[in-house]
Amino acid sequence: MTSSPAFRRFALAFGTAFAFIYVMARFKGLALFTVYPSLGIVLLGMHRSRDVADPVLDFLAPELFWYGWTATAILGALVIGSIAALLPAGWSHRFWPGWVWVAPVLAMMACVYLTIPWFRQ
Amino acid sequence: MATALLILHGLVAVALLGAITHQTLAAWTPSSAHPRSFFGRFRAVQPAGYANAIVGLYVGAALLGAIVYLYFKVDVQPNLERDRHWHALGFLDLKEDFVAIGFGLLPAYWVSWRQPFADKRDRTAAPLTTILAFIVWWGFLVGHVTNNIMGFGS
Repeated sequence: MTSSPAFRRFALAFGTAFAFIYVMARFKGLALFTVYPSLGIVLLGMHRSRDVADPVLDFLAPELFWYGWTATAILGALVIGSIAALLPAGWSHRFWPGWVWVAPVLAMMACVYLTIPWFRQ
Repeated sequence: MATALLILHGLVAVALLGAITHQTLAAWTPSSAHPRSFFGRFRAVQPAGYANAIVGLYVGAALLGAIVYLYFKVDVQPNLERDRHWHALGFLDLKEDFVAIGFGLLPAYWVSWRQPFADKRDRTAAPLTTILAFIVWWGFLVGHVTNNIMGFGS
């Protein structure tokens, strides 16, 4: 089975961009949408229950941002990957392929940092 | 329904765990023609042949996990918070982050094992496979412990 150089450029750019955008979305609260599983509703953007209700009532409407962060990262990475696929083949030599595995490692380390508050309780 | 989905999620994860572990070992330590030990036979696979299955299993496990996560958030997480299992919740938070990052890697991982790039010994294949293997192992262990946490260490 073969894959075209254009798809390879897309895949490398997508993987690198996804890791970067996911961490930025997590860090800056850039969820494309917020899911409230107990209420069965989805709201565009990032909404925290505690911003509109008493924090002690948070358990009544727990919110889920993970789907929204992932959707943000997919959307952003699709754009960047598509641009990379459309670029002339010569441009790919300027991009070190190793970024595709270095970026996720750095992103995972950033996620560990963002998770520290759980371990300080 | 949630229990059935969780069991299915676990079964898909076990298959994924086996496939990615075989591939990772084969990627880093190609075996000799006639392996004699158990370890030698374990790594004596054609790693490129696992790529399609691993992508399919990863997507399947992630989607099932994403559905189960809805039940978890409503029915399980409040109990873990009540019992102050903060470390478990932190590790689970990391699991969801790592799984998402791994999901973004799948196209690059798949391409790295395709010909003609695999023939050229694509240098990204082994590191990408290793990262995915770490994510899968992390997800499996954290998921397993979280699933049993009311009995685990209590």
